Amino acid sequence: MIALAAYRDALSRIEAPPGLAALRRTHLRKFLQAGLPDRQHEDWRYTSLAHLEHMPLHAPLAPTPALLALEAYPGELRAWLDDRPVQQDVPPSAVLGALADVIGAGALPAFGSLAPDSALARLNAALWREGASLRVPAGERLARPVFLRFAAAAADAMLHPRVFVHLAEGAEAILVEHFLGDPGIAYWQNPVTEIALEAGARLTHLRLIEEGPLATHTGLTAVRQERDSRYQALNLTLGGRVTRHELGVTLAGPGAEARLDGVFIADARNSAEQHVRVVHQAPHGTSRTLYRGLADGRGRGVFDARAEVQPHADGSDARQSSRNLLLSPQAEIDVKPQLVIHADDIQCSHGATVGSLDEDALFYLRSRGIDTAGARQLLLEAFVEEALGLLDAAGLRGWLMPRLLASLPRARTVEVRP
Amino acid sequence: MLEIRNLHVSIAGKPILKGIDLSLRPGEVHAIMGPNGSGKSTLAQVLAGREGYEISAGSVRYLGRDLLPLPPEERARAGLFLAFQYPLEIPGVANAQLLRTALNGQRRARGEAEIDAFDFLEFVQDKLALLGMDESFLYRAVNEGFSGGEKKRNEILQMAVLAPRLAILDETDSGLDIDALHVVARGVNSLRSNERAILLVTHYQRLLNFIEPDRVHVLAGGRIVRSGGPGLALELEAKGYAWLADAQTVAQTVAEEASP
Repeated sequence: MIALAAYRDALSRIEAPPGLAALRRTHLRKFLQAGLPDRQHEDWRYTSLAHLEHMPLHAPLAPTPALLALEAYPGELRAWLDDRPVQQDVPPSAVLGALADVIGAGALPAFGSLAPDSALARLNAALWREGASLRVPAGERLARPVFLRFAAAAADAMLHPRVFVHLAEGAEAILVEHFLGDPGIAYWQNPVTEIALEAGARLTHLRLIEEGPLATHTGLTAVRQERDSRYQALNLTLGGRVTRHELGVTLAGPGAEARLDGVFIADARNSAEQHVRVVHQAPHGTSRTLYRGLADGRGRGVFDARAEVQPHADGSDARQSSRNLLLSPQAEIDVKPQLVIHADDIQCSHGATVGSLDEDALFYLRSRGIDTAGARQLLLEAFVEEALGLLDAAGLRGWLMPRLLASLPRARTVEVRP
Repeated sequence: MLEIRNLHVSIAGKPILKGIDLSLRPGEVHAIMGPNGSGKSTLAQVLAGREGYEISAGSVRYLGRDLLPLPPEERARAGLFLAFQYPLEIPGVANAQLLRTALNGQRRARGEAEIDAFDFLEFVQDKLALLGMDESFLYRAVNEGFSGGEKKRNEILQMAVLAPRLAILDETDSGLDIDALHVVARGVNSLRSNERAILLVTHYQRLLNFIEPDRVHVLAGGRIVRSGGPGLALELEAKGYAWLADAQTVAQTVAEEASP
């Protein structure tokens, strides 16, 4: 059963030029035909979205007066509350503005063409509202990071944030997307971010899922890289009942480089899923995928990554590393690393491990006078640190670390001693 | 300082230590020697509080307290230190971070003020020099990629920083070349004091040429089969451990006859 009325109602409230309105209707029709993905789909076999069908989902009409407190961001902030803009540090410009305005002013090449035709991407394409557009002209480098903050405040809200990023030749930027919400309510964020990097462009992209404990997050990032461009991403999942991020990167031009780092934490009864798809289409591309996962309580994590080297993408170098820690007997992390290779003279490797905290290391630290909680904290920090290399270059360590450290699972007090 | 009485320890039901009696006073250096599998490392681990050992009988008192119920961190904060036979590699944790966290944990437990990063650096400088270690060691991950000798030196560096009352050195000499052995012995000797007791656990007499013990105990088959002065180590060196087989048999017979 799918709440048709809710989706149709949401669409009816969106004003769009006739051409775009027709496109939105088409997307919605196709979504409604297919319905929410279920476990029959191979890529969704770990995820259940059945609970969404029982929620009185709606697109919030007006911003809730009780704003979630806006914390300080070390950069230029654009903030949304329930899909509605509530804060912008700089006036809209050709570089950073509302996506709806930019599209209204003329066609945006590549917009809508990078995201796959999946059911949820279609739903987002039908129902996104203001959206954000970041376009950096050739050769320019943004001095400060751009922060896009998407917060949910209305119970049963369904939010479809849409972001389009275009970096022209040789442009450089740092982008941070931050997803969060009122911890006391259930809601659903279904964001889509498309990123086009022209030749030699460089984007550092930090994506932080810090949703409330009752929230569902089904996010998608689609990246297309031209010659010698560099995409460096750090994907963090620190909170949310059901969270899922699909990251698709296409190395379309020769010599493109992608570095995809991530940390996910699934505790309580939460599930945190990472689905990474890297496609090497052109020669001499480099991709590095390095994720660290933690599961505690009855948490469940998924690391599913596939690197595909297409014919003629000779000289490609694709590497995956996934290390995961289970901190309780009921926690679970499923890893599914895959390499699909159709070219010659390439270098590929993948390694995935799932283990528990090293008891010997724990004893070593305790024998130095560090208590169990402190020793665990040290080891967990060290464990995730391996994936946090981007923070220093981006100048974001000071902003992110307190959030990350606060999310690390705490030691339980029960101990077994001889 | 340390009183071990009739200590029996087993692992998974298999007896390893079968009645150890040992007593150390402040200022003393004792060596425990014995062949592989005699229970030397088990004794060291049990004293440091390693989980997974069954203590079926006996008692250990340390500075007047019952040691065995204490978790490892409380033992460390009470001044007990174990230099590991196989120091752990801990990727991602810098040596300085471990040292300072450990030192501050112990200072807090003693009601002393914590030491900040700057003062810590000053504090640790001469200890590094003592062990011939470059400052860069502080910023490397704990023991990661260290050579065998570097790991052992790093253990003694931790000991120098934490200034324990009782130090147990588990096979600190194993895997060291002669130069490294000199450095480690110099470090240990500099830490000898009237306040501090040191228990050297070793397979070879070699270490005792550099760190002269007050007493030497021979552990075999889970029991101390002989105790004596420094000369006992030389005797062992000359005769090897083979003759212990007899001594062990004798000890066993005596013990069995004593408890019908």
